[in-house]
Amino acid sequence: MASGGIGWVVAVNLVIWTGLFLMVLRLDRKLRDLEKDR
Amino acid sequence: MKSRFAPAFKLLLWAWMCLVLAGAFFYAPLAAGFLGESSRILFFHVPMAWTAFVAFLAAAVWSGLYLARREPRHDRAAAAAVELGFVFCLLATVTGAMWARTMWGAFWNWDPRQVSIVLVLIFYGAYLALRGAVEDREKRARLGAVYALLGLVVAPFFFWVVPRITFSLHPDSIVNTRGTIDMESRMLQVLLASWVGFNALFFWLHGLRCRLGALADRRLEA
Amino acid sequence: MPPPTSRSADWLAQAAAVFAKEWRCELRTRYALNTLALFAVTTLVVVSAGLGPLGTSAAEGTPVLPVLLWLILLFAAAAGLPRGFVQEEETHTATALRLAATPSALFCGKLLYGASLMLALEALVAPLFLALVQLEVAAPGLFAATLLAGGYGLAAASTLIAAMIAQARGRSALFAVLAFPITLPLLLLVVELTRNAVAGEPAGGALTQLLLYDATVTVASMMLFPVVWNP
Repeated sequence: MASGGIGWVVAVNLVIWTGLFLMVLRLDRKLRDLEKDR
Repeated sequence: MKSRFAPAFKLLLWAWMCLVLAGAFFYAPLAAGFLGESSRILFFHVPMAWTAFVAFLAAAVWSGLYLARREPRHDRAAAAAVELGFVFCLLATVTGAMWARTMWGAFWNWDPRQVSIVLVLIFYGAYLALRGAVEDREKRARLGAVYALLGLVVAPFFFWVVPRITFSLHPDSIVNTRGTIDMESRMLQVLLASWVGFNALFFWLHGLRCRLGALADRRLEA
Repeated sequence: MPPPTSRSADWLAQAAAVFAKEWRCELRTRYALNTLALFAVTTLVVVSAGLGPLGTSAAEGTPVLPVLLWLILLFAAAAGLPRGFVQEEETHTATALRLAATPSALFCGKLLYGASLMLALEALVAPLFLALVQLEVAAPGLFAATLLAGGYGLAAASTLIAAMIAQARGRSALFAVLAFPITLPLLLLVVELTRNAVAGEPAGGALTQLLLYDATVTVASMMLFPVVWNP
């Protein structure tokens, strides 16, 4: 596999990981808001 | 229950896993005896499998705690561990199967570790089915805890029996029979770094799941 | 405080009473016996019909037939054993039982009942199976020991799980789902041992592990049963 190919794989993985991370972060914030309401 | 992770830690986790990704593809060498770049999957498949096993143990421990003290938070922790463990286990099984397909041409190979991870997966599924079938909260917690402990008691037998009925295609380059770590040091570094990252991720997700469960319970009571 | 000897005699009496009561109820209706026997025999006939009138050659048969035998026993157990507790809930005799016996004595009585059911079933099924599929067992002693230890182990695991599902919805399907992961080590062991018995090979460590499994599940079930039984 050409190193260009590897670069793409890493880039896609980084995007997916960052997306997942942001989703979990949002969940964390939502939970904190809900807990403050109680 | 406030989040134990300061925002800085979460950012650190993000950066850490990015580093692990880069390390897995650029820094670590390829493992000998593997087809092309396929050994890269090692750095994600193995930590997920370890985390799945750890989650199994954690669920049993929390179940024991619940039976001893009957505090709902322990039951929530046990259930959350199983739910998350299920996800990690599923991912580990799928990545393992994909790797097997690349390496040996078939998704399923009767390899002992492959069989073991599927058994854990089935056990998780049974546990979740049990919880789904009991409506009363206290009963659900109690029966779930009993099943988790029963599973723990039975698990050691698999360690003896499964290797006898399977043969191993599983690469043993990670830990050899003498118990020494036989891997190339850069591979080991990335693997351990990945494991730390996945543990932290599990820990964070587990905390979130417990908080969600606590909120839901409070809402039900209100 | 009563002296210990009379307390253990009490416990034994309770366990024996539960055991006797189970069999008395069972013999009155013969429901479980009929279900088990019918299920097992039907499956047996299907299996042997499927394999064909000439049976299978020894080379093909030895690995596969033990598995079939134990599958038949396993599914028969799943069909017949859970009733022990489900029926108590349905007929509302459970409360009376809670008052009449200590949990451990109750569990023991139920367990022995389940084990005796399994052994009776095996006594029926195993010879029939061997005859129908024309399988010869080189080491009958090992075969019998496997049936005994394996049947007991199935009953031990099933009794606790039956108690659990009696309090849940989706009873029979849930029983199979819960029982499978727990009984899997036993199944793997008995299949291996049966294969060895057929081939005339020694048991190796497997028989010890099977007995250890039986002991472990018995002890764990006895310890966990009060949690399931008492709210």
